[in-house]
Amino acid sequence: MLRRTTLKLMATLASVAMTPLGALAEMPAAIDKPVTISFYNYNLASASAGADATRELLAMFEKKFPNIKVETIAVPSNEIMSRVQADIVAGRQPDVAQLVFRDLIYIASDLGANALEDMVNPEELKAHLTGMIPQGLELGKVDGKTYGLAYTFSTPILYYNADLFKQAGLDPDNPPKTWTDVDAAGRAIKEKAGKNGFFPGAYGPVDGTFVYQAIVMSNGGKVRDGNKLTFADTNAADAVKMLRGMVESGAHAKIDVASPSDTFAAGNLGMFLYTSAVYGSYKKAAKDKFDLRMAPMPSFGEKPTAPTNSGSALYVFSKDPEKQRAAYELLKFLTSKEAYTVITSKIGYLPLRLDIVDDPNYLASWVKENPMFRANLKQLDHLTPNIAFPGPNYRQVEKMMMDSVREAVFGTGDPSAVLTAAQDEGQSLMP
Amino acid sequence: MTDIQADLARPLALARSPATEREQNVFTVLPWLYLAPALILLMMWTYVPLVQAFQLSFYQWNMLPTAPQRYVGLTNYQRLLALPEMRAALWNTLFYILGLFPMSVVIPLFVAIWTQDLTGRARTVYRALIFVPMIVAPVVAAVLWRWLLNEDQGLVTLGLEQLGFGRIGFLTDPKYALATLTWITGWKLIGFSTLLFSAANAGINPSYIEAARIDGATRWGIIRDLRLPLLSPTILLLSMMTILFGAQWSFAYINVLTNGGPLKSTTNIFYLLWEYGFQTLSAGWSSAAGMIAFAGFAVIAAGCLWLMKRFAVYDN
Repeated sequence: MLRRTTLKLMATLASVAMTPLGALAEMPAAIDKPVTISFYNYNLASASAGADATRELLAMFEKKFPNIKVETIAVPSNEIMSRVQADIVAGRQPDVAQLVFRDLIYIASDLGANALEDMVNPEELKAHLTGMIPQGLELGKVDGKTYGLAYTFSTPILYYNADLFKQAGLDPDNPPKTWTDVDAAGRAIKEKAGKNGFFPGAYGPVDGTFVYQAIVMSNGGKVRDGNKLTFADTNAADAVKMLRGMVESGAHAKIDVASPSDTFAAGNLGMFLYTSAVYGSYKKAAKDKFDLRMAPMPSFGEKPTAPTNSGSALYVFSKDPEKQRAAYELLKFLTSKEAYTVITSKIGYLPLRLDIVDDPNYLASWVKENPMFRANLKQLDHLTPNIAFPGPNYRQVEKMMMDSVREAVFGTGDPSAVLTAAQDEGQSLMP
Repeated sequence: MTDIQADLARPLALARSPATEREQNVFTVLPWLYLAPALILLMMWTYVPLVQAFQLSFYQWNMLPTAPQRYVGLTNYQRLLALPEMRAALWNTLFYILGLFPMSVVIPLFVAIWTQDLTGRARTVYRALIFVPMIVAPVVAAVLWRWLLNEDQGLVTLGLEQLGFGRIGFLTDPKYALATLTWITGWKLIGFSTLLFSAANAGINPSYIEAARIDGATRWGIIRDLRLPLLSPTILLLSMMTILFGAQWSFAYINVLTNGGPLKSTTNIFYLLWEYGFQTLSAGWSSAAGMIAFAGFAVIAAGCLWLMKRFAVYDN
């Protein structure tokens, strides 16, 4: 008891002491002495194209700013949040971190990320943000302030194995457009080619919620409305029932939820709905093995699809003005035209500066060589923000939701009843 | 894994020296000084965290020092006990324990007794084969089993398909996943238990066996009336370890292979409390789940110790 009172007292004192200081200390305009900043990054922790491309970007950055040394901390995406939190707890203040959107509210309110509007002067910030897609920037805002600067973005995209399509007697040039088509194609692949038909990368431990949310929102559903959970409401539940229906028809595979990606890369899965970010890795895996194609995510009949973003934003945690400047320079570089050229062509994320797509200095030649990537770009127009959960229990709520979705899709109970039970349970944990 | 130190040869009661009455009332510093390092470590790593966990189980807190710890009373416990997930985890924990018994006690006991009579190289080779799974790192073992049991190209799955069993989703079908994980955990344990039984078996005084033979006892008679009673302390010890730690030993395989799925069919109380604490960052829930497990296992441990005292036969 005494300890907690003391802590509270100290926190109050600290905040009183910090306020005028924080307002006074402005970032210097340039870096003239050597500074080291830490960068928590999850692309670096993957054994895929993402790591190489990120190393390349950082080398370019350090060459441009010889005074800034970037110390990288590579952590897989599902653990990076806990790592940043643990390091803050341990007194090691992170400077820049690449974190996913689902933790946005928590990062802003509890982990003390800096709002760019408070850190950078308005003209400078405006100059940098001009040209970036506004829907993307909107995603990193809490109460009108930018805490996360949109960095790597992708939408769910339907990867398909054209060889399996041919074996199943389907036309690989005419990929499924609606879920009804997916069901038919999935059954054909299962029955005629003897391989797994369709699987979404929505249920695994590293998948987050974005593929699931994209499916739900394409049917006009939503996982929450304000502080009210709505993932068991009609439209959202119907989307899950559609998946359950495909499980029953045999079109939707029943494979290990943690490894559909490997199954697809090994050529044993016909259609895989997943982030476009892994395009680079699949391209490598499929080379000389099977004909890899991409199509926009399927729709519910005539309803427009709502591809949500997966991917990450960059957050600055630095307290020291020197480091803040160095961190901001890193943010600026990583979201520049030249950086997006590398990010898009080498990893497969979307360029958040669309003007570089047809610019011969940047992406034009690559897009010409990889015309399928347009399917991904097309979805940017109707990009729908992924919905994060608020409150201190947000992760538990999210887990309850995803557990119930798995149960509804693969289980034996009534999907609506399963979702409703989880929704009621989760609602009591909402703020 | 959890260490356990136990005197296999004889009970602690006998190891104690005859009571010395002298200097009972004089406090001496020296013994406490010798004990201090062990006591401090024990306090620091066991009892202080235990008390803190007990305290945290009444709070709602996300482990962030800047976040407030909110007192919620018994809410954490109420919620946990109401969650279907918790009930499933407790049942699964029981299943793990029961399922591990054959592999941690029954099979090793018979392997140890039967290989006793093997001689020379055959015995060494045989025991080495049984012992190897134990020294494979748990994560490596998990990954090997994942490959073996993969639904599309796993050797075991394809082999069984050839034999006409169809494709079994060992890790993807809720019907089989729990049994699969229990098997993998047990497979790793066979070597360890066999080693303990072999050591205890070799420690039996050969003159008893000879005497019995001279009296005309059969091989089975010797096992039933001599070896098994004299092995009883080890049997009870391993049974107790299986009951108390068996479900914990499965943690690495759950974490690597299934994450508690499919449909929570493989989660157990230990995995659940780890998930609450370090995946969803809920210190209160995790501590409450830990307390429930602690209380349950404390009762069971007391029962086991009583049984051990009651039934073990010691060769004095």
